[in-house]
Amino acid sequence: MKALIALLVCAAIAAAAGLLAPVYDWAGGLRFASEMFLYLAMAQMWNLLAGYAGLLCMGQQMFIGLGTYCLFYTSLQLHVSPYWAMPVSFVFCGLMAALAALFMFRLRLVYFAIGTWVLSDMIASFISRTPELGGASGYQLSDVLPLINFDWFDEVIFWIAAAIAFATVWGAYALMRSSVGLGLMSIRDNDLAASSLGVDVWTNRFIVFVIAGAGCGLAGAVYFTAQLAMGPAQAFDPNWVVAMLFITIVGGIGTLEGPILGTAIYFALREVFTNVLGLSGAWYLIALGGAAMVVMLYAPNGLWPVVRDRFNIRGLSVRRQPPKSLLAQPAE
Amino acid sequence: MDWVGLIINGLCLGGLYGMLGVGLALVTGVMRFVNISHGEFIVMAAFLGVFASLQVPGINPLWLIVPVAIVFFFVGYGVQAVLFNKVVTAPDFLAPILLTFGFSIVLQNVMFEAFGTNVRSLTAGGLARESISVGGISIGVLPLITLGLAILFFVVLQLVIARTAFGRAVRATADNRDVARLMGVRPTRIFNITMGLSLALAAVAGMLLAMRATFTPFSGLSNLLVAFEVIVIGGFGSFWGALLGGFLLGLAQLIGLHFDPDAGIFYVHLAFFAVVLFRPQGLMGIKLP
Repeated sequence: MKALIALLVCAAIAAAAGLLAPVYDWAGGLRFASEMFLYLAMAQMWNLLAGYAGLLCMGQQMFIGLGTYCLFYTSLQLHVSPYWAMPVSFVFCGLMAALAALFMFRLRLVYFAIGTWVLSDMIASFISRTPELGGASGYQLSDVLPLINFDWFDEVIFWIAAAIAFATVWGAYALMRSSVGLGLMSIRDNDLAASSLGVDVWTNRFIVFVIAGAGCGLAGAVYFTAQLAMGPAQAFDPNWVVAMLFITIVGGIGTLEGPILGTAIYFALREVFTNVLGLSGAWYLIALGGAAMVVMLYAPNGLWPVVRDRFNIRGLSVRRQPPKSLLAQPAE
Repeated sequence: MDWVGLIINGLCLGGLYGMLGVGLALVTGVMRFVNISHGEFIVMAAFLGVFASLQVPGINPLWLIVPVAIVFFFVGYGVQAVLFNKVVTAPDFLAPILLTFGFSIVLQNVMFEAFGTNVRSLTAGGLARESISVGGISIGVLPLITLGLAILFFVVLQLVIARTAFGRAVRATADNRDVARLMGVRPTRIFNITMGLSLALAAVAGMLLAMRATFTPFSGLSNLLVAFEVIVIGGFGSFWGALLGGFLLGLAQLIGLHFDPDAGIFYVHLAFFAVVLFRPQGLMGIKLP
């Protein structure tokens, strides 16, 4: 309950920030915050897959790409504002994830990781050599620009991004508290034991894969709406999954707070290296890789579990507590 | 183009793809350790080859394969001893993937800072243009040498693992490292040597690749993807599977390019899925020989 209140307070602060932004000219800050929220949403989805469902998906950028293409295609073909195309991207990516799962779930562990990566690369190369889908140059939103009110563009994107981020964090929390979540964690820990207890491994994983696909598709679509243009190389960039992986593992895989902490570290490193120290992007990436290695060597579960245990914070823990009445009575 | 020529050229490319995969197959088979930075080492070897050939003008780069491979053997030994052995005993398979993932980002961007984004290749002099003509089919000499070297390395590796005392220790460690230790084998030393061999094979692949095509500091990821495809369709840890997988992918790429000139690597991916969806355990889904 406390966690829920904290989330609501954060959401209220975000809403207020958007309202005050035009007054104080925070456009740059808003764009930065939007990017952070979208990365948080993507990383949380990847965390659900890898940290809870045991699905190491190295091709998650395929849903970012598909969501982006769906949004641009729908918006340009039907001549509607990109905002209205966002739910279409969400549903489309969910369906695509369901379709992909039928084939990809035949593969296990590392095979699944490589298989999804290859699938993503294959879709990207198919799109970039199909002129009907924009070819290698992609699409621009230029035809539908009159449908967007640019006085409030940054603010609206910020609100949408914030809403997606809160929805993914809260949604992941709710999902993990449900019976699906319990089933998932039992599968992650030992899928053979879980299935012998009657947990439906395939269905539970399927649900999470579809949710993660739809969520990443939506986040990607919003990200590229803010850019107003995209191409297959950017939309299907493997660096998307690199970012999700970094954020999740540095923050703490298999904890809901981990991606939040990881996102903060990811963007803090970027700001320090590129803006404060004025170094090139390559040095920032070297620092990123180095940070991932150090965390893996000295805190293999990520940083959040270290912080949590040091300060004894309960946070968004989904651990089930036995009723107090049971604890009060000594076992006989 | 004649079909026989197409198939022979496809096998030559496949030999190169097999070389990209075999080092990864060795490490995965022996240590249950997925080395994401394998692709970066392939590119680093190519860079070392380019700079070595600049130091000795006029030398045929084929002669540089041996010294570069020896350098990378020691690099692999050192990296495993200092870094990778810390996570090789981790209970889940995620820790090594994430450590080597971070390492690959570091290596890639260090190469970018050091060498820039210029497209490079190893010029093999006249050799690159020479071809022999058999019964009206013309085949490049360099691709043939590549194929010959690939088969040679596969046979040698197979013999080392299957017939020598060292190979026996490697297989024992792969099967059960605790029992192997009881028999007087030091698993960490076996791991160091295995990683050394793996990166030496990566170096050979990188040199051959640089003679055939161009590369940049960012080529590691695409090479890693091909290497993974090779060992997945071959079956994890199987050397012959890796060679067979390489042949299949090489043939798929050249036959695809024959019908669809700007297909790129699309048909390689298609062939990969065709195999993996029908045989999820790979063509030769067995452990080490």
